[in-house]
Amino acid sequence: MSIMEYNGSAVVAMTGKNCVAIASDMRYGIRMQTLAADMRKIFKMHDQLFVGISGLATDMQTVEQKLRFRTKLYELREERNIKPSVFANMVSSMLYERRFGPYFIEPVICGLEDKKDQKNVPFICTTDLIGAQCFTNDFLVAGTTTDQLYGVCEAMYKPDMEPEDLFETISQCLLAAVDRDCLSGWGAIVHVITPDQVITRELKSRQD
Amino acid sequence: MEVPQPDWLTSEHMTGTSIMAVEFNGGVVIGADSRTTTGSYIANRVTDKLTRITDNIYCCRSGSAADTQAIADIVAYHLNLHSVEIGEAPSVETAASVFREICYTNRESLMAGIICAGWDKYKGGQVYTIPLGGMCVRQPFSIGGSGSTYIYGHCDATFKENMTKEECKKFVLHALALAMSRDGSSGGVVRMAVISAAGVEREVVTGDKLPRFWEG
Repeated sequence: MSIMEYNGSAVVAMTGKNCVAIASDMRYGIRMQTLAADMRKIFKMHDQLFVGISGLATDMQTVEQKLRFRTKLYELREERNIKPSVFANMVSSMLYERRFGPYFIEPVICGLEDKKDQKNVPFICTTDLIGAQCFTNDFLVAGTTTDQLYGVCEAMYKPDMEPEDLFETISQCLLAAVDRDCLSGWGAIVHVITPDQVITRELKSRQD
Repeated sequence: MEVPQPDWLTSEHMTGTSIMAVEFNGGVVIGADSRTTTGSYIANRVTDKLTRITDNIYCCRSGSAADTQAIADIVAYHLNLHSVEIGEAPSVETAASVFREICYTNRESLMAGIICAGWDKYKGGQVYTIPLGGMCVRQPFSIGGSGSTYIYGHCDATFKENMTKEECKKFVLHALALAMSRDGSSGGVVRMAVISAAGVEREVVTGDKLPRFWEG
């Protein structure tokens, strides 16, 4: 079993019309044994920036702590919130610093940022474990359930969904995908980020 | 250059599993989860692991899906022929014995953990467990599969002698629900069957109706 499958996780992010959503499962397990069903894998950096981290649990915690530290330092120096695209570059270079002894994680960065002529443009980005960035404008997946998530997301995604619709779609995609993976599931949490609020909902799911 | 392949292309189908069987006065209650995995991909989430050998004898399969399906087919063939030769329904001990013969002789090549259970008119309800090495032993109740490791304590604490049929069904359902909740390779629905003089009654308990315990 590869080191990325030691703990197991499912993270998915999707864009909508002036909103983004990010969702993950809540399982904490060691190989096939489940130890807890309340593990948070998505972390808020600020009101318009969330990062979900999949992969080895110990590295997930360490990277979250390091990112929070660097984000806070940025905010102290710049006296403003860090933009998601800048944050993504920071994640990428931090992971590449460890090119030959990497953190065994795959982060998914998700947020809203203002561009030159538009406000609140959805931004999602994922990197591999050594920092190669991947940008799309529809959806991104990470974790042990990626094969299953690609299938359901490709089928169910449509562009420019309103927040309620986006919530429904991302939830159904995640629940359907984790039903086909032994290493993820045991609950799910979804954050929908809109320009004026963040709505967080925990989903009731199969506990197997 | 070696192309890395996902494990669901190269791994064997395994029934990770939680299986169980309990004797009561007048028959047996058998139960299993419904998950078959290839690596960590769930190939079938509604598998039937309670396999008919004869009308009065069933087996619960755990381990390699291919091995246990092949063994069950061969045992069913032998028992079918035997029942014609003796002119009546075969005994559960005979079925367990055939399972043991196959599992022991081919122990190096097989990965099969089987619980053989049923009812016959000589000894009533019987449960025989045939784990990996090919031994065969009769037990008042037996648990098997990867999920069983999580419920040994629970079963030892909850089992009582001389339970009724309904108490046995509740015992099996609760134990399997607990195992499925902790073991990654078990899950889906709980399939149960009650085998007695009257025949077999099968039942499925779906995920939403499973008992829920403390969830951390």
